[in-house]
Amino acid sequence: MALAALALAGHQRHAAAERVARRLAALQAGDGSLGITASQRDPHWPTGLAVLAWSVADEPGARQPGGFWQANIDRAVAWILSTRGETLPKAPDLGHDPTLEGWSWVEGTHSWIEPTAINLLALKATGRTGHPRARQAALLLVDRMFASGGCNYGNTIVLGQRLLPHVEPSGLALLALAGERDERRRIAASLDYVEANLSAATTSMSLAHGLIGLAAHGRSMPRSSSWLEQAARKRRGPAAHQSALLVLAALGEDCPLVRLALTPGGPA
Amino acid sequence: MTPEFTDVDAAAPRTDRRAVLIGSGAAALGLLGYPLLRSALADRAAVFIARRQRYDGPLEETIRAGLLASGIDPAGLRGRRVLIKPNLVEPSRLVAHMTTHPAMVLAAAEVFRRWGASVEVGEAPGHVRDSESALGESGLGEAIESAGLPFADLNYEEVAWVPNGGRASPLAGFYFPRQVVEADLIVSMPKLKTHHWVGLTAALKNMYGVIPGIKYGWPKNVLHHAGIPHTVFDINASLPKTIAIVDGILCMEGDGPIMGSPKPMGLVIVGANPTAVDATCARIIGLAPEQVSYLRLSEDRLGPLADRYITQRGERWQDVASPFSMLDRPHLRRLQANPAGPLISAVWPAGRASG
Repeated sequence: MALAALALAGHQRHAAAERVARRLAALQAGDGSLGITASQRDPHWPTGLAVLAWSVADEPGARQPGGFWQANIDRAVAWILSTRGETLPKAPDLGHDPTLEGWSWVEGTHSWIEPTAINLLALKATGRTGHPRARQAALLLVDRMFASGGCNYGNTIVLGQRLLPHVEPSGLALLALAGERDERRRIAASLDYVEANLSAATTSMSLAHGLIGLAAHGRSMPRSSSWLEQAARKRRGPAAHQSALLVLAALGEDCPLVRLALTPGGPA
Repeated sequence: MTPEFTDVDAAAPRTDRRAVLIGSGAAALGLLGYPLLRSALADRAAVFIARRQRYDGPLEETIRAGLLASGIDPAGLRGRRVLIKPNLVEPSRLVAHMTTHPAMVLAAAEVFRRWGASVEVGEAPGHVRDSESALGESGLGEAIESAGLPFADLNYEEVAWVPNGGRASPLAGFYFPRQVVEADLIVSMPKLKTHHWVGLTAALKNMYGVIPGIKYGWPKNVLHHAGIPHTVFDINASLPKTIAIVDGILCMEGDGPIMGSPKPMGLVIVGANPTAVDATCARIIGLAPEQVSYLRLSEDRLGPLADRYITQRGERWQDVASPFSMLDRPHLRRLQANPAGPLISAVWPAGRASG
């Protein structure tokens, strides 16, 4: 639902975006979190996505600019900052640094790439790029990228074996890492990985995340429009979710997610 | 992440009816009487093995023969809902031996459709949120579309809460997708593979893939934190009736379930009791079933492990066994039977691209 609000706002459908923002507000729990559906109030990983939707609904040009959703955003961000993925001692069997703190899909479990990326985006969108949790999240995302580029759900090496990267989480991590410095050059390698692995055969969710991730770093693919059309025609899966992502990816650098990822913000 | 390994025997309460009968019987007969009573009460389960199978061969005939030999009654399936659950944990075109071959899924679906069942394929890939990509990379998407088979993305479907029927883990219950709860019969269709944490992944472990990512995450880390062996047992103890058809034609050895090497075996293994099927699979790949933690938990609760309680149909497992290589790790070494397969170090397989 949050992605739909972002897609609608990105295409100047502000009235429709506002309706979705209101629906999200109605689903917000007293502690600031949002569940996965209206009937399933946990886990709460969509909370960061709702922050992004409300942030866009608050932008100039929207029907309710100037902080209409600020209270919802503040409560959601407070919830995000009150939660963290479980850390673990460093272990020789794991390639990543499990002491770094990000966010989990479900409370009480380890930090993984996508929830960490979503919540880093939420912090950046609300001007908290310099917040210690945002800095730690950025470190985690880079740490979970392969030196050769790309990432998967969040494991790099297990029991001495290097695992496989995937486009969809790589694109989302790259989006969250927009504007970040990376002396280990893993972001650059991941941009190359995504570029090399997008094609007309890439499925909608991976294609959209890949293109948005590239756009967040000023890169684009010349045949992206044609690929997006093909992906939309062949789409097989959750219709609204995939359509929203494809519509967002079609905006390139004008995608609201890209703009939010590059929101200036100092220490909180 | 690294799972916790605990003493599974100590963790699992024995609360089923048969365990109660055995317990009271043992008290009555004394310690000497217990083995006799246990033998008398143990179920027998049939497991069918076919060898020299190929993906372009007559798999439908093989699977039909296997189901009949396993005691499946075709008349009982007319008008019933059958959910086929392949293994698409993290598909990659570069690692075809990681996922259930589409030809196996189509053949099984055809058998059940000819018997009058309505068939759906469902999966909740554990490591990828883009299930459409999982279908494409595995080749299953095109195959089921051409066969007119519906696909349920179990990661995103409506869920229903089901009490934990095993209680080996601390989880009170599971959220299962609607298709799983409503199925009259679930068909676990795994790829036969080694597993670098628990030794073997086949019919029982494959059922991790009915757990919805939207509730449990990608990976389904809630289950890892609750204990892999315990939750494998608990999930299977909580599901509707489940049977197994194993793709043992091109298997995975070494660093399974994702990064292992191909191991051609040419086998199709079928049974109405997934525990008995997995025990047989363990023997085939050179593991001692009673050493595999989730099989030990399942023994006599979900099905038999002991060879004498498993009726072999088709080929004998002794005639098709070929020990699989395993990672050289202490927790895997102790699972091996004699003769054991080679122990290897994890290495990036030559010629496999990183992307």
